[in-house]
Amino acid sequence: MNAADMKILIVDDFSTMRRIVRNLLKEIGYANADEAEDGQVALKMLRGSNFDFVVSDLNMPNMDGFELLRQIRADEKLKALPVLLVTAEARKEDIVTAAQIGASGYIVKPFTKATLEEKFGKILQKLGLQAA
Amino acid sequence: MTQTTMEADSDMEALFERVASERACAPATIKAVQAVPTAQPVGAESDPFDVFQRVGSITRKLHDALRELGYDQAIGQAVNSLPDTRARLTYIATLTGKAAERTLNAVEQGKAMQEALRADAARLSADWERLYGSQVSAEEFRKLGQETRDFLGGLPARTAQTDAQLLEIMMAQDFHDLTGQTVQRIAKIVQFLEEQLVKLLIDSTPPDKRSQLKDEFLNGPVVDPTRSDVVADQGQVDNLLESLGF
Repeated sequence: MNAADMKILIVDDFSTMRRIVRNLLKEIGYANADEAEDGQVALKMLRGSNFDFVVSDLNMPNMDGFELLRQIRADEKLKALPVLLVTAEARKEDIVTAAQIGASGYIVKPFTKATLEEKFGKILQKLGLQAA
Repeated sequence: MTQTTMEADSDMEALFERVASERACAPATIKAVQAVPTAQPVGAESDPFDVFQRVGSITRKLHDALRELGYDQAIGQAVNSLPDTRARLTYIATLTGKAAERTLNAVEQGKAMQEALRADAARLSADWERLYGSQVSAEEFRKLGQETRDFLGGLPARTAQTDAQLLEIMMAQDFHDLTGQTVQRIAKIVQFLEEQLVKLLIDSTPPDKRSQLKDEFLNGPVVDPTRSDVVADQGQVDNLLESLGF
């Protein structure tokens, strides 16, 4: 699969943040993206369609990023999905939890285009895919 | 970014990678639930006629009563969170200020680039108009052709610069997410403070005024801690305060 065609799901309760991430992804070569405002909506979308990558915020109402990740890793269809978690603070316990639950990577807000590109590249490399 | 920030980032990165690889190697384990230690039973061997024991027992009862009413911790908590609220508001002001500055800088630079592009294009256009008015020599024609070629050749790089300024403006909008979360937290603190004060007001209403309180205030959503829509209705709080003469 060509990485540039990857269908990415952006999950964040702030629409501004979703737009920023969407535009940044476009900048680094990923133009196929969709949005969800919390973990619950995201899970529904993930189960109902074929996504290749998830970028999710941590703090969200209804279902937060950690719970979404747990649900993804527990789902037979979704368990191998690469998930990049976005956190507002680089707290040790959050990062350890993220790794323990099975996040593919994490990125701290506010981040730059270069950082996002680097994180994406790292995750795709682990999956044996070429970055866009 | 400072050296220490970069070191901290790579420390965090290393920590993440280590835990992630441990997870990949180890079989799935269920996190053991910590057994809650059972409360120690109150010693029954105290002498009931000991003054010291009786004073201690009364103090305990008083303390428990206050705690049960929820005043000592709740109000204390609300009051203690005020300096935190002030700090958060300052944080919001700082963040939005920086975002505004960042945006304005990008706008000014972008506008300057746009103006330069416009000026160069206008100049070339005027020269070509003169050409078509047959007022230039062959040498000037060659020179104009080269200048136009150079202008077109340089356009991609110049428009990329303007594009970068637009990207910068977009990135500056990330303040909305960070400040929005802080605002939500502050709103929660303020709501909590109001709840506790209203509760205290109701509980301390003198008997002669109690009759003025409608049933909905004594038993309704404003004072019921189990309802999730507590103090969601400002109208109820207003009505309550009015009915008590405030």
